[in-house]
Amino acid sequence: MTATLPAQQVARRPPQRLRISAPTALALIWAGGLASVALWWKDTPFVIGLGGWLTNAGRITGLLAGYLLVVLLALMARIPALERGVGTDQLARWHGMIGRYTVSLAVAHTLLIIWGYAVSAHTGVVAQTGTLLTSYPDVLMATVATGLLVAVGVVSARAARRKLRYETWHFIHLYTYLAVALAFSHQFSTGADFVTNRPARVLWSALYIGVAALLIWFRMAQPVVQALRHRLRVVEVRRESPDTVSIWLTGRHLDELGAEPGQFFRWRFLAKGLWWAANPYSLSAPPRPDLLRITVKASGDHSKALTSVRPGTAVLAEGPFGAFTAARRRHRRVLLLAGGVGITPLRALFESLPGGPGEVTLVYRAGSPRELVLRDELEWIARDRGAQVHYLLGPRGHGRRADPLSAATLARLVPGLPAHDVYICGPPGMTHEARRVLRQAGVPRRQIHHESFTF
Amino acid sequence: MKRIVLAIAGTVAGLAALLSFKSHTALSARGALPAASLPSASPATPAPSTSGPSTSRPSRSAPSSSPPSASTGTRTVAGQAVQTQYGVVQVQVVLSGNKIKNVSFLQLTAYDPRSEAINSAAAPILLQQTLAAQSSQIDGVSGATYTSEGYVQSLQSALDQAGVR
Repeated sequence: MTATLPAQQVARRPPQRLRISAPTALALIWAGGLASVALWWKDTPFVIGLGGWLTNAGRITGLLAGYLLVVLLALMARIPALERGVGTDQLARWHGMIGRYTVSLAVAHTLLIIWGYAVSAHTGVVAQTGTLLTSYPDVLMATVATGLLVAVGVVSARAARRKLRYETWHFIHLYTYLAVALAFSHQFSTGADFVTNRPARVLWSALYIGVAALLIWFRMAQPVVQALRHRLRVVEVRRESPDTVSIWLTGRHLDELGAEPGQFFRWRFLAKGLWWAANPYSLSAPPRPDLLRITVKASGDHSKALTSVRPGTAVLAEGPFGAFTAARRRHRRVLLLAGGVGITPLRALFESLPGGPGEVTLVYRAGSPRELVLRDELEWIARDRGAQVHYLLGPRGHGRRADPLSAATLARLVPGLPAHDVYICGPPGMTHEARRVLRQAGVPRRQIHHESFTF
Repeated sequence: MKRIVLAIAGTVAGLAALLSFKSHTALSARGALPAASLPSASPATPAPSTSGPSTSRPSRSAPSSSPPSASTGTRTVAGQAVQTQYGVVQVQVVLSGNKIKNVSFLQLTAYDPRSEAINSAAAPILLQQTLAAQSSQIDGVSGATYTSEGYVQSLQSALDQAGVR
């Protein structure tokens, strides 16, 4: 299936870096879960009576919750191989899914243990809860941890999250670390699988310590190292449209960042009103050893403030992140499908994706011509490489009014569409619609690559 | 929604399958539980019959102690019920002063026939070792490590309670 590319263009491909693909990552997560259950299996000769059933169900759910908590943190540790191989948005979706499951497991674990112990000891549930809280080591702390996890879970539930500012939501999430720390000690002091099993304790600790090390390295140390090494600052701010600006940044040794077109960084601008938040923006041009560019549309508080940032402002950048790169490509022909300001990573790919004349096509969906950004350079690139650019303009489809983006339109604009790799970047509604339309037009699911803005 | 239902159903089914594989009923030692006395001992309190298969989690249950009988100077003290991987062990000692005159089992359960056989072979040896050592510092029985450890723990808790060093 893989199309062979002409030799001179192969040389331009980004160097091979370690990528952990989604299936590999999922297999690893499952293997760990099975190992946790195997630990219970090995340590449990028999399960007796209702009390035994409940208690042991509590032990298994507890083991799995303890394991998945670590997985949750690992998914968010910004491990480059995972970021490149799986993609930040996919990792965030897994994190959300596994997070909800883990909170449920932790609650089930708490209730099952109380109930199971109460049945075995022939006491009431309330009395048993009291006993567990007061006389079992560290259980009180673990109970607080479960409460925190539930609170974080409720706050991050999709419905609640829409009402919260991103920053508030993010801050509340930090309580997860506290919950993990509080829940840790009761696993060893009361966990039947660990009290008498030293190798299990060692392995379990290694897992926690390993993930803590990854978090500390990739989320704390690495950004500091990068900041000191590269010393990024703003060199120019250019208005692209009434509400969109391009920001050019320079720094030292930028080639060492290993950024690829289609990737993004989390940018922290050290200016009044901006320094406290690191927001993700894609590179809107292929990275150069001395120059990076992002293009930002004023939509939230932060991005609005960004449009008035001054040259000379120092910038901290974490990254690069994202799997939305040339490495996803399987076919010779590529369609880039942009929605609104989602053009930014596609603009970088449009210039840098290898391919002869006619092999790369860009379709740009926007509400009106005013909303098209970077139009001049898109057309310049198109001329330069013999590629096509099409604009689909007009309001979104509603009721009887058809959306400008339809299967028929795409098939007409892009001959041989099913044999294309399609890269989509746009707002969630547009991305969803585009995927549906592409499937309708006969593009296989695995040829559709997308990255959503919202994390 | 479909995914949530699947996750819950899958988890519950998985748990039930795992647990049912391990499900078992407890066996208690058949017949009278073994006891051992020093030869010179005056008739000691007979060991009460077993409290039957224990499914409780008694490892933290409060040990009970009968008041010292001043007339004979002997005391009967029950140790903690200790849950091991293979069953429950609970020991009772009869003391005269600091001397262990008699030691017996209040509970000795096993969850499978093999453990039961191991227990019944090990039990008399453990009792004899205790009388010989006059403390909980005994060698234990190889091949019955868990039962030996549980036995020592229960015995030590009885001795602690009686204030024997």
